[in-house]
Amino acid sequence: MAMQQLHKMLDDEVVVSSLACTTIDWYQVEDRPLNFYLFGGMGMASSIALGMSVSMPSRRIIGMEGDGSVLMNLGSLASISVMKPENLILIIWDNEVYESTGGQVTHTGRGVDLSAISAAAGIKQSHLVETPQEFERLASRALKEPGPWVIVAKVVGDVDKSKAPPWRPVYYTHRFLDAVSK
Amino acid sequence: MSDAEDLPWTEVLFQALKDAKIDAISYVPDEGTGALVPAIEADPFFTVFPATREEEGVGLLTGAFLGGKKGALLIQASGVGNLLNALASVNLTADIPLLMIIGQRGGLGEFNPCQTPGGRAVPAYLSALGVSCYEAGTCAELADMVDGAASYAFTTRQPAAVIVNQHLQKGKRR
Repeated sequence: MAMQQLHKMLDDEVVVSSLACTTIDWYQVEDRPLNFYLFGGMGMASSIALGMSVSMPSRRIIGMEGDGSVLMNLGSLASISVMKPENLILIIWDNEVYESTGGQVTHTGRGVDLSAISAAAGIKQSHLVETPQEFERLASRALKEPGPWVIVAKVVGDVDKSKAPPWRPVYYTHRFLDAVSK
Repeated sequence: MSDAEDLPWTEVLFQALKDAKIDAISYVPDEGTGALVPAIEADPFFTVFPATREEEGVGLLTGAFLGGKKGALLIQASGVGNLLNALASVNLTADIPLLMIIGQRGGLGEFNPCQTPGGRAVPAYLSALGVSCYEAGTCAELADMVDGAASYAFTTRQPAAVIVNQHLQKGKRR
C-alpha cells in the first residue's frame, strides 16, 4: 500500500530498487524507464542511489531498500551522512524478514532500529514510520524539502513473486541511460 | 617514455586517470594509491566518493556511471576480496563498466603475511570472473595500461583492472 501511495506522488524521479521482493513489488506498481532494477548486488541499492544523487544533482533520486539489504551495507548510511546529497531519499521497506528466501527473521525483527542507526550516523532527516498516514506525510515532505532523507517504513511483506520483471538487466541499464539523458 | 619514468608513479597515475577522462573516483586508501587522495580531492575535475568498504565503492561508481560519469576504484589488493559479489552480480550482468586500480600486495618484498594469500589471489579472482587484469611494473606501463584498460572498460562495458606492482609502488624499476 505504501508503494502505491508513493507512486501517486512521483513525477520524474529516479527510483533504484534493491533486488528480489523490493524490485518485484515496485515493478508491479509501474514499470517506468526511470526505474533502475537490481537483480543482484544485495546491499548495493543505497550506494548506487548515493552515487547517482551526487552525479545528477538536478534530479531527485529515490533509493528503495529492504532491511536485510541495508544491514549488509550499513556503511552506506555513514557515506550518505558524509556526502549529504540534498536530492536523495532512501526508503527502507522494513518487513523484518528475508522475504524472498522464505521469511527468515532479520536483525530488525530482533530489535535493531535502522532509523536510529541512520540518525546516529548524522542524517538529520531519519524517520521511522509505522502507518500509511505517517508514510504519506513524510514522503510528501521528502519529495519537496532538501535531504538527504532516510525513511524506514515498517511494512508487512506479501509480494506476489510470480509477477517479477523479466530478467533483462542489460536492457534496463540501457533503457535507464536513455531515459536520464532526455 | 623517459619523462614518465622520472615522475613518481602516483603523479603518472593521476595524469593517466585525467587523460582517460575518468571523472569519478572512489577509494578505500592503502599506502600506495592513498597517496593520490589529496591531489584528487583538490582537483575539481574529479567527483570523489570515499567508501567505507570496497564493495560500497563499486556501488557508488555504478551510480556515478548511470549518472553520466566514468569511474575508477582505487584500492589495495586485499580489498578485491571485499567486492566480488557486487562486481559479479551487477557490473558483469548489467553492462556497467568500471576501472579498478589495485595496489598489489603479496608480491615481491611483501612483509605482512595477512596480505599474502588475498593479494596473491587477485589475478585468479578476477580471471575466474572473466575480468581483464594488467600488471604495471614501470611508470610507462602504468600510463599505457590505465589508458588501455579505461578504453577497454568503457567501450566494451566491462570491468577492467590495473595492478600497480609492489616494486613500482616502492619506486623500484623492473
